[in-house]
Amino acid sequence: MGKDAVKVIKREEQYAKKISTKIWYEEPTEQNPYIAQQSRCHGYDLIELVKGRSYVEVLYLLFRSELPTKEEAAIFEQLLISFINPGPRHPATRAAIVTGVGKTDPVHILPIALSTMGGNFQGAGEVEPAVRFLRKNVKKDPKQVVQRLLDEGAKPAEGDWSIAPGFGSYFGGVDEMAHQLALQMTAQPGSGKLLAWGNEFANELHEHQMGWLKTGVAAAVLAELGFLPFASATVYQLISAPGLLAHGLEYCKKPMTSYPFPEDKDYVIESD
Amino acid sequence: MSLNQTKQDTALWDKYRAKIYSKRGGWRIGKGVYNCGYDMMNELVGEKSYMQVMFLNATGRLPDRKLADWLEAVHICLSWPDPRIWCNHIGALGGTVRASVVSATVAGTLAGDSKAYGQKTLVAGVSFIQKALAAYNDGISVEEIISGECAKHGGKPIIMGFARPIAKGDERAEAMARVSKLLGFSVGPHMKLAYQIEDVLSRDYDESLNICGFVSAFLSDQNMTPEGAYQAFALLVSSGVTACYLDVVGRPAGTFSPLQCEDIEYQGAPARALPVSCP
Repeated sequence: MGKDAVKVIKREEQYAKKISTKIWYEEPTEQNPYIAQQSRCHGYDLIELVKGRSYVEVLYLLFRSELPTKEEAAIFEQLLISFINPGPRHPATRAAIVTGVGKTDPVHILPIALSTMGGNFQGAGEVEPAVRFLRKNVKKDPKQVVQRLLDEGAKPAEGDWSIAPGFGSYFGGVDEMAHQLALQMTAQPGSGKLLAWGNEFANELHEHQMGWLKTGVAAAVLAELGFLPFASATVYQLISAPGLLAHGLEYCKKPMTSYPFPEDKDYVIESD
Repeated sequence: MSLNQTKQDTALWDKYRAKIYSKRGGWRIGKGVYNCGYDMMNELVGEKSYMQVMFLNATGRLPDRKLADWLEAVHICLSWPDPRIWCNHIGALGGTVRASVVSATVAGTLAGDSKAYGQKTLVAGVSFIQKALAAYNDGISVEEIISGECAKHGGKPIIMGFARPIAKGDERAEAMARVSKLLGFSVGPHMKLAYQIEDVLSRDYDESLNICGFVSAFLSDQNMTPEGAYQAFALLVSSGVTACYLDVVGRPAGTFSPLQCEDIEYQGAPARALPVSCP
């Protein structure tokens, strides 16, 4: 197997000499070029932001390069609160809890939990396609889109059916919390046409035991705030981080016996 | 009022509630540890190589020693101790901030889950060569296969498994060809086609088969699926990341390529005063 000896030649590509950024500027001191005496976020002095702006406003500024309007800040804050905690049953939270109870170094709780939160089912991986789905369909009749998806799609033989990214069944029914959160944010002045369309679409799905999923609601709000699809997915991870961490930390001081370890009778080796 | 008006069927979740099911195996406390039907302590430990068991864990299939040795050689090819490589760079940065060796190694390994290099490229690499062989067997020429792929990228020869960043040519593909021959593997139909594609790419674009393309073609000849190949190489780059971490840990903290303020090129908004309130 094989061919003649390979010649390996460096490409004449120009790699950047420096890291570049539009986000952050650090002004060095005269005495030490490694030490900054001022930091600016998109042009605004960090100390001024600390003194005069909320966390939500600066978070928005960091990602979107401009401060939010009052309406944008209000709905962004509601989004951050809405999904601050996936809850103790979510697989990512359980990963955090197992990290805590397992006596793993607590600094690993977030990386571990957020990796799990990156999944395509009930996780950030579902948000990017949900943004794309909403953008693509927002001008279409929701009823017709539902009918087309019902006609074209195939309900899985078992488990939940995500009929469209960000929409589907949740443990076989409608995710009522997702629905309530969507309505809450729809009522905000900063709410736009994606959330409104998503509500209509979800309503058409209810008779089929489907509706909004949390990832869909987050996708709609983030897209309306101008986040790109791939960025929306990662911001959804970020939003969930406080809850994941809180649950993980709660278990750090608990004994290993405080987390269920199934008896052998409840651990079924199917090849037995 | 609840949106869920009818009693719903939750039998699937009820079945799995408070129980764990495994088709792979597990620990029968006091009896033994089982893996895909093998008694791990008596049939695998000391009897099979780590790579054989790793492949078993990844695919559910225990490979022969020859294939396991081949897999091991690929892992060596993809674990370089050069911190300029992206995944290794992350390991080195973990070292300079004194993250733990596990944290740095896992972080760097996770970076290999990339469309541009590392483990994940095998999905596209295996998919491409398998589709290409199907097309070739249907009468599509090698030139047509290449032009079809180039057309997707504005005429550029961007085909997963061919060409590579930074350099032209791939010494790893050559090394693995040598290993394959030494282990007694013959050139299968996917590998043969990969070489034919390389011949045309070399002639027309001065590009060649890379390690991803070689591995993808080889594994396709071993009847592996794209996802199976990806799963078997989940930790592909990890050892090189560890090496880069440890090299940096042996130096003063914060000295891995430190940056002065002016080493960052700021391209954003100029200094501006904060508005009195939200716009």
